[in-house]
Amino acid sequence: MANEPPGVIGKGIAIRGNLSGEGDLIIEGTVEGEISLKNHLTIEETGVVRADIKSERLTIRGEMSGNIEASDRVAIQANARVTSDIKAPVVVIEDGARFKGKVDMDVELPDGIL
Amino acid sequence: MADTNTIVGQTILIKGNLQGDEDLTVQGRIEGSVHLSKTLIVEPTGVVKAEVSVCNAIISGIMVGNVNATESVELAETGRMIGDIRAPRVIITEGARFKGQVDMGDVASNRESPVRAVVAKPARFEPARKASATAARPTPVPARPAPARAEPKPEPHIEKKELVDEEGASKKKIVVRKRR
Amino acid sequence: MANVIGKSIVIDGEISGDEDLVVQGTVKGKIMLKESLLVESSGTVEADIQTQNVEISGAVTGDIQAFSKVEIKSDGRVVGNIKAPRILIADGAKFKGNVDMDR
Repeated sequence: MANEPPGVIGKGIAIRGNLSGEGDLIIEGTVEGEISLKNHLTIEETGVVRADIKSERLTIRGEMSGNIEASDRVAIQANARVTSDIKAPVVVIEDGARFKGKVDMDVELPDGIL
Repeated sequence: MADTNTIVGQTILIKGNLQGDEDLTVQGRIEGSVHLSKTLIVEPTGVVKAEVSVCNAIISGIMVGNVNATESVELAETGRMIGDIRAPRVIITEGARFKGQVDMGDVASNRESPVRAVVAKPARFEPARKASATAARPTPVPARPAPARAEPKPEPHIEKKELVDEEGASKKKIVVRKRR
Repeated sequence: MANVIGKSIVIDGEISGDEDLVVQGTVKGKIMLKESLLVESSGTVEADIQTQNVEISGAVTGDIQAFSKVEIKSDGRVVGNIKAPRILIADGAKFKGNVDMDR
């Protein structure tokens, strides 16, 4: 899987527009627009993303707003600030993270609960 | 921990309204509403189908309904929840299942356009963010049977810094100052 | 662990279950248990009760039906009708209502 080193959008970089591709990506700078990534996207602490994101996995340590659709999992880590509607099988919000929005995971409840 | 702790055992079903000033551990089932000034603990066998307003909630069982907490809501590994959460601290642990809205108050990125923000004004927003973090806590969220949360409104007592940049007046934030 | 409804707890509704229940707080509505109900001296029950056994040291207002035994302790206060094969009312207890010990 991780044969290729991840792409990095460094601190000084600002992108406005659509971003798509395969492979892992780390964002340390700013992106505004739309992101569609096949693998793992990481928004680092310095990263600021305003975009609708589609990816397999997403890890957020920085600032993010926009809708998220992940096929595997979304992790919102301690210092992250996220405003988003998230659809993913697994969503983790760590203590200390700030989040506002919807979370949509599959919730299976035993019969007779609803 | 020295306080009394109310326990609702596995075979027990309570239908109705429950309120109190102590921790409540649910191993059985509660349907209706729960208002506590302390902590609600829903154990793995527990089912709470209710509107809940508490100080803290730790959910390892099943929770269906909206939870308003003045401090924190933690959805533990085995927790499953359908409903909306409103609390300054919300933790969703790996393994937990959740569907609904989360409102932790003002998340706000106080930065305007991120592209511009990084270039133009990186450090200026710290005080505002701090104010929001501390201010969110002492506000008891009033219990409401059916929180209508269509429009996330800003916390009333949070001071927002005025931001004016070249983007023009359309993106300008209004200063909200309220003293209690 | 035992089921306890603590002192500060107020329940307005129905409680049902298959295990013992201790009430130190307040319950209004209805209680239906397959086992025993213990209303401690701090407990207040304004409810119809249907259980196996009831032991009352607190205050109960409502009709009580027990399949085995109802016991009102010396500090217990009961207003309501009691139906049970065995009924014990201790010296000092306060009780107002009908007693039915028919099987």
